[in-house]
Amino acid sequence: MSVFSDALLALTLLSVLMSLAAHRLVALVKIMAFQGIVVSLIPLFLENLHAMTMGSILMLQVMILIKGFFIPGFIYVAERKIKIRREIEPIVGYHASLFAGLLFILISVFIADRIYASQSLPGEHVLLMITAITTLASGLFLLMSRHKAITQVIGYLMMENGIYLFGTALAKQTHTQYLVEFGVLLDLLVGIMIMGIVLNNINSSFDDVDTALLGQLKD
Amino acid sequence: MLEFTCLIPLFTGIIAMFLPVKFGRGILVVTALLHLQITIMAWLGKITPGLPQYFSASPEGLLVLLVASFIFLFISIYAVSYMSVTEITSEPIYIGCTLFFLSSMSMVALADHLIVLWIAIEATTLMSAPLIFLHRSKSALEATWKYVMICSVGIALALLGCFFIVLSMDIGNVQVPITFSGLGAVATQLDPMWLKAGFIFLVIGYGTKMGLAPMHTWLPDAHSEAPSPASALLSGALLNCAFLGVYRSHRLLYQAGLGDFSSNILIGLGLLSMLMAAIFIFNQTGYKRMLAYSSIENMGIIAFGVGIGGLATYGAMLHLIHHSLIKSSLFLSAGNVLLGYGSKLISKTGNMAKVFPKTFTAFFAGFAGISGFPPFGIFVSELLIIMGAFQQGRTIEVSIFILALILIFAGASRLVMKMSFGKWDEEILVDENWTRVLPSYALLLTSVILCVWLPDSLYQTILSAIATIGGSVNG
Repeated sequence: MSVFSDALLALTLLSVLMSLAAHRLVALVKIMAFQGIVVSLIPLFLENLHAMTMGSILMLQVMILIKGFFIPGFIYVAERKIKIRREIEPIVGYHASLFAGLLFILISVFIADRIYASQSLPGEHVLLMITAITTLASGLFLLMSRHKAITQVIGYLMMENGIYLFGTALAKQTHTQYLVEFGVLLDLLVGIMIMGIVLNNINSSFDDVDTALLGQLKD
Repeated sequence: MLEFTCLIPLFTGIIAMFLPVKFGRGILVVTALLHLQITIMAWLGKITPGLPQYFSASPEGLLVLLVASFIFLFISIYAVSYMSVTEITSEPIYIGCTLFFLSSMSMVALADHLIVLWIAIEATTLMSAPLIFLHRSKSALEATWKYVMICSVGIALALLGCFFIVLSMDIGNVQVPITFSGLGAVATQLDPMWLKAGFIFLVIGYGTKMGLAPMHTWLPDAHSEAPSPASALLSGALLNCAFLGVYRSHRLLYQAGLGDFSSNILIGLGLLSMLMAAIFIFNQTGYKRMLAYSSIENMGIIAFGVGIGGLATYGAMLHLIHHSLIKSSLFLSAGNVLLGYGSKLISKTGNMAKVFPKTFTAFFAGFAGISGFPPFGIFVSELLIIMGAFQQGRTIEVSIFILALILIFAGASRLVMKMSFGKWDEEILVDENWTRVLPSYALLLTSVILCVWLPDSLYQTILSAIATIGGSVNG
């Protein structure tokens, strides 16, 4: 665990907290792009640099490209078309969300400590585990606490980032198969694209992307 | 190369997207035929996987693949006729996505690598989403949004489950490829705590996709809003694929000696799904929603049967085949009803026996089949599950199971009677047509035939699929 990876993890945590407090959607997308790049860089500093193969370097670049540019770019374009600038009335207010984010960090410190104390886990990535749990929980929180469908997509993305970090924290790097990892990324990318298309359609038939409007189908 | 079952629909799907509609419909049927042929060749053991580190021809996978391929053929014949009488704004996209959907489902059936299975199941969600919002109505959009969001989030949790299982492997200091077959061989050396945690996440994730309560909320919406051929595919083929994910995880736990833990979870979720379906089916207003809740019920039955083990597992596998056949036939008939009456509401339909005799025969027979009447196969499968549960001494569970079956039959039969014999004196919009009725008949007939005569290769495949979790026909 180097100083660099600690710094990157701290940046990830910061981006999580910023996204919970972000009012403007454009700012939120920028934060997500930043988070995507930082998260993809983390494995670079966990591994021994000399042990890196051609495949892992290529994968790193693809990941940065997709998580840092393609996906945020796609959400940005969708946002432009929808012409929504900000989340007006979130279900949970911004200050409360920020507070919730801090709570998540506390809880994940507790959980990660317990996990590492009771198990003989490979490596000693406690901070990585803390960041992963916080990102995952905050993503789910964002998904549930916002009305606009586009913020929910961002919440999903953050959750995915959290799960990815979990994967890097838990699994030994020797398991990595680039074809498989690429498949996961591709699914994520296509998923976001389809969500974007549905979003556009929702916007044109409801004149808004408020999920409170999506309540006709029920029993 | 077994991977052709995924590759062929993928390529023909891409081609169909760029061709005029007329060719596209032809491609749909031709691909279905080709796919069935390759599947049968795989059954005969003529082709083997080209990438054995990711794919394998497991018996349960072959079973699901055959069921999917078989009903896809009939659904594609129906779809061609269905598309010619409805207005679909972007038909090439519909045809393309149907083929991509088939491709991703085949990938699920063949996947052996934990994460490849995850990728394939997520891909089924993504490829079927365009099918649901084809009509672009407000309710269809809502259904699609719920489907994509709920399933994506659920399946994301399943990825976490995969990582937990990889971790259990690292803690146990085992070095095998991350495949179900590889892990199964060394299951006892895996760390039990993380294996259990992984199983819970996998069941939540794939259970969402399978429609197990309480994660089922997307299912009635998606099944009722999708065009009928797509609903038939979702219910008849997709749910089985998701079940495959749950089944393989359960098998891993069984092999690790934690079978009791995972069985109880499956039995609990199964019963909960059945009860939930019983409650919601009772006052249902839409007939497609009614069928969707019935799918939730049947997935519950399958989960219950697998959880019980022994003879019930055999029953569950039979149930999977017959549910797919009968339920897709029912959804196809429901498509005819929707074309004829122009409404999804039960109150806007009636007197089907008089005005829609051919569809009525299929719909009513299908209903009798899904309720468990002979000569349809569900009669046998449910009987086997109940007998299996008694053999295992699960008296309380089986009484809840039977109660839920009775409630669902009571609730649904009231609605079906209203549709079949209720009052109706208005014009029919689109008359029924043999090409839209025969596929339903064929699917029902298959269920009847399989009930009285099960081909030996099918029987042996089911046995070898369930042997690894202690299932057998001798209890």
